[in-house]
Amino acid sequence: MAEFHHPRRRLCHTVQMNREGTQTSHRLDPRWPYRANPGFYDEIVDQAGTVRPRWRSLAGSLVSIGHESLARRWEEGRRLIHEHGVTYNVYNDPKSNDRPWPVDPVPMLLDGQEWAQIEAAIAQRATLLNAILADLYGPQYLLRSGKLPVETVFPNPHYLRPCRDIQVPGGVHLHVYAADIARSPDGRWWVMADRAQAPSGAGYALENRLVSSRVMPDVYRSMKVQRLAGFFQKFREALLGLVRRNVENPRVVLLTPGPFNETYFEHAFLARYLGYTLVEGGDLSVHDNRVYLKTLGGLLPVDVIMRRQDDNFCDPLELNADSMLGVPGLVQAVRSGNVAMANALGSGLVETATLSAFLEGLSRHMLGEELKMPSVATWWCGHDGPRNYVTNHLDQLVVKPSFPSMGSHPVFGERLSAAQRKEFAAKIQANPTHYVAQEQVAISTAPVWDDGRLAPRHLVLRVYAVASNGSYAVMPGGLTRVTSSLETLVVSMQHGGGSKDTWVLAEQEPQQITLLQPRVNTLEISRATFDLPSRVADNLYWLGRYTERVESAVRIVRTLLLRLFQETGPTLSQAGQAAVPVLQALGYLTLAPGGALPSPAQWEREILNLVFDSETRSSLAFNVHHVRRLAWLLRDRISADAWRILNQLDQQFSGKAPPEALQVNAAQDRLNHAVITLSAFSGMVMESMTHGDGWRFLDIGRRLERGLQMTELLRHGLANVADSDAAGLQMLLEIADCSITYRSRYLNSMQMELVLDLLLLDEANPRSVAYQFGQLRRHIEQLPESQILARRPAEARIALDLLSTVQLANVQELAKSDAQGKRQALESLLSRLSFELRNLSETLSRRYLSHSVASRRLVAP
Amino acid sequence: MILESTHTTTYIYSQPAVNCHTEVHLHPRAANGQKLLDHRLTITPEPDFTSSRVDCFGNHVSYFSIHEPHTTVTITSRSKVEITASSAPLAALEWESVRDLLKVHASAEEFEACEFVFPSPHVQIGAAYAAYAAPSFPEGKPLSEAVADLSERIFKEFQYDQRATTVTTPVEQVLREKRGVCQDFAHLMIACLRSLGLAARYVSGYLQSGEGSIGAEASHAWVSVFSPGHGWIDIDPTNNVHPCGKHVTVAWGRDYSDVTPVKGVALGGGDQLIDVAVSVRPA
Repeated sequence: MAEFHHPRRRLCHTVQMNREGTQTSHRLDPRWPYRANPGFYDEIVDQAGTVRPRWRSLAGSLVSIGHESLARRWEEGRRLIHEHGVTYNVYNDPKSNDRPWPVDPVPMLLDGQEWAQIEAAIAQRATLLNAILADLYGPQYLLRSGKLPVETVFPNPHYLRPCRDIQVPGGVHLHVYAADIARSPDGRWWVMADRAQAPSGAGYALENRLVSSRVMPDVYRSMKVQRLAGFFQKFREALLGLVRRNVENPRVVLLTPGPFNETYFEHAFLARYLGYTLVEGGDLSVHDNRVYLKTLGGLLPVDVIMRRQDDNFCDPLELNADSMLGVPGLVQAVRSGNVAMANALGSGLVETATLSAFLEGLSRHMLGEELKMPSVATWWCGHDGPRNYVTNHLDQLVVKPSFPSMGSHPVFGERLSAAQRKEFAAKIQANPTHYVAQEQVAISTAPVWDDGRLAPRHLVLRVYAVASNGSYAVMPGGLTRVTSSLETLVVSMQHGGGSKDTWVLAEQEPQQITLLQPRVNTLEISRATFDLPSRVADNLYWLGRYTERVESAVRIVRTLLLRLFQETGPTLSQAGQAAVPVLQALGYLTLAPGGALPSPAQWEREILNLVFDSETRSSLAFNVHHVRRLAWLLRDRISADAWRILNQLDQQFSGKAPPEALQVNAAQDRLNHAVITLSAFSGMVMESMTHGDGWRFLDIGRRLERGLQMTELLRHGLANVADSDAAGLQMLLEIADCSITYRSRYLNSMQMELVLDLLLLDEANPRSVAYQFGQLRRHIEQLPESQILARRPAEARIALDLLSTVQLANVQELAKSDAQGKRQALESLLSRLSFELRNLSETLSRRYLSHSVASRRLVAP
Repeated sequence: MILESTHTTTYIYSQPAVNCHTEVHLHPRAANGQKLLDHRLTITPEPDFTSSRVDCFGNHVSYFSIHEPHTTVTITSRSKVEITASSAPLAALEWESVRDLLKVHASAEEFEACEFVFPSPHVQIGAAYAAYAAPSFPEGKPLSEAVADLSERIFKEFQYDQRATTVTTPVEQVLREKRGVCQDFAHLMIACLRSLGLAARYVSGYLQSGEGSIGAEASHAWVSVFSPGHGWIDIDPTNNVHPCGKHVTVAWGRDYSDVTPVKGVALGGGDQLIDVAVSVRPA
């Protein structure tokens, strides 16, 4: 029989006077006016307006920094966030799916003494929840004895029956745990919610620290803030401790639901910081009951999976059959002990709010200890006493479904009318076990920097713990999240909330810790980058193609702009007219092909739209944005500098269009900058990226795209150009960035054969079609399949065919034109090359990149 | 009586499938009045990996994976069981007392049973099911009589119709349209019993074909109700009988999703064709 339960503690709604003294010398400086809301505990000042001791040093620093300097420093902070690409995805936002991460420059402060209590309470709670999981997925004594009602577990969708009796390594289900805690008006902390599934935010906390310590290095150092790196070191040790294979270099992967998850940035950031491979479900495969990473080079064994994906979605065979994100056979592999999961599958069960109502009793029963930090008062309506209390006090409570996935949202009793409350109470009476009620806490406030002044906002602090040597180590700090205004008590990043770095002040100088491993045992030198997931290779390939596509467009438009806008206003020279079909063929112009030639004024509009418009698919800005998105997907693969460059490119194209009169100049400027930025990226790729398979796919993408663009340019550009059209030839040379080479060879004599030779056939010219083919052939011969197969694989045959075709071409014949001025031989050669290049792209994709064959469910009665 | 059963499942793909992972509930468990004499599971092509375990309801589960490209998979389960025919136990306890005992679940047996009181993926509970069951459950009626009455009503009021439903048809539709197959009738009856606070589980198995046996050409399903002191009482609403001698129990769970005979995930494969054949005969 379940014990009758009623929360003993009620949160204090009245404010107690503070005992910290009321010396007038500790008031906030009048230049920093701040009005705390009297109904709540304020972190920085007490009821009398005195600055609390732990804040005095920071308050002093703010005064000496001054408003202007803080604003400047904060500008720098925001720039850092943008540069690091710290984002947060907002669901249902069609415009973009990444928003800059909102951080406030004023950190949240906690002194060492108070922190010690929080730390002990969180470690205790993690220990308790782990013990509860071990029981519920094992002998279930708690349910048998009625210490926990069966109604909290058996109908709970987070109770995963296939995970019952799975032996987890070391008995640890919860490897990482987080609690959302908040402070009530009397100054006490309460646990608002438990995060046991795959807690998010530790990476954002670290990012907040990187920013705040760089923006306020002086203040940060002088205040002896406890460092976060030690926590992540323990984290890494905890996961390495799960490895069963006796290997020197075990593989730990971070499993993400993918780029559309709200905290994807954090997944990529943590994977990189901790040195794990970032994978999606489709990158993993179970073979012979073992988990492998699908790479270009084949299947590589995985030892530990740190998951940021909800457990129910991890295996469509045994768990949620509708999951498109899962790895079929994963649960069986886990059950056999061939791979370890952190957190264990099924751990989401203890996030259930209903459990909070029983934790005090469970703590006494299981740990023999009083709970060190209470849960926010919670009433489970399945028991008569609590239910009566809830229905009689709806105005003070938040009512939630017992299990989050029941699909309804929390109901705030105070917002209901008397009639609505009555109706809701009846709903609870009808299905009492489905509801749990919690007290609405008057949570504390802290100052945020809002439009140049300090203003109070409500806050919730997320604190993290990691399993360490049979206990839990707590991160000294955490993620403080603040409400978007003082009017709401609900903290939500989805609805405009912000965040703060959290400084735990140390008594002594903190230790320096770095995550670079000390040399314990020497690893074998390994030159191969074997762990390239096929999905990543695919993204790199398209990054190469798109950067090249942008570069080619930038060069064409720049060359045209120069010719179009002469002193006399927009005119269309003969050479300019030759460019029309080129641009149309490449998809940059929206004008109908074959239609009447546009007027010069229309031309002007079209070209400027290409540069300034960001909505049309064919615009430069659109393509640049796509490049940035690909780079964003590859954040864990490309260097921070390469990312910065592409981010900068995106910014160059996202500025507003200047007034019309200045647009031509501004466009010219923008394009010149873009050429330089793109060159910086190419240089970075060539010089700083290891020339492994990842780099190879990026360069294959680039070469293939450049080959295609040049082929199309020649095909359409030379079709209408007469032998004598020196200006047209000149323009092609300029687009291809070959004017100087040409001039140094042939001076100013413009001849069709010579131009064709340089742009099409010259293998030494890095802009020629032949050069791209040579590179493609070399790359393809280095790919894993070419190494294994005795017979030349299809993609290698195509590349060789392309190269020999141009090597055998006769330039005189190609330059010949018929009576109508058409160059039949050239046209047929170029259209064949264009076809074969597309064929090559498809063949490569099929062999290496198509990891995403759809899986299907089989069910037979 | 000794019954021999053969259950063959064949998948045919239009294109090669790779990396197929399959879980089967085909190994008959020991049950009240049933002894397993022999069981063999044959899979072609030969799987790359196989393993078996006992799930949280005590059923035997086999898992296998095939990694090489293949266009057909055939899974054949051959079993021999000995069944001691017994008359249905008389549960004289009033149904309300059973409900109240389950709430308290003082004994280990009652604790195990109370997991089957709650809704499950294929079985919702609610007022509509309780209302349908109500005429069979007047105040103070002994459990076994009430259950027999409910089974008889389902048998009479619902039409056996193989085209009306699929494996995923929700039980509310079955109640509304009053047609379906054994799986639907079992789910419906379970929903009714659970809505009254009783523990009911889904039994997956086979039925010997013959005159008056509905649903014998494929795998069969029926219901088991918990009665304190007696254990579990099986009842087959599709045929309105207490299984005795003709039913082979394979596995039980909360509903179909816990004991799906064959389920799997494969990569690729294009279009697929499934063929299932079941035969049960006396040895």
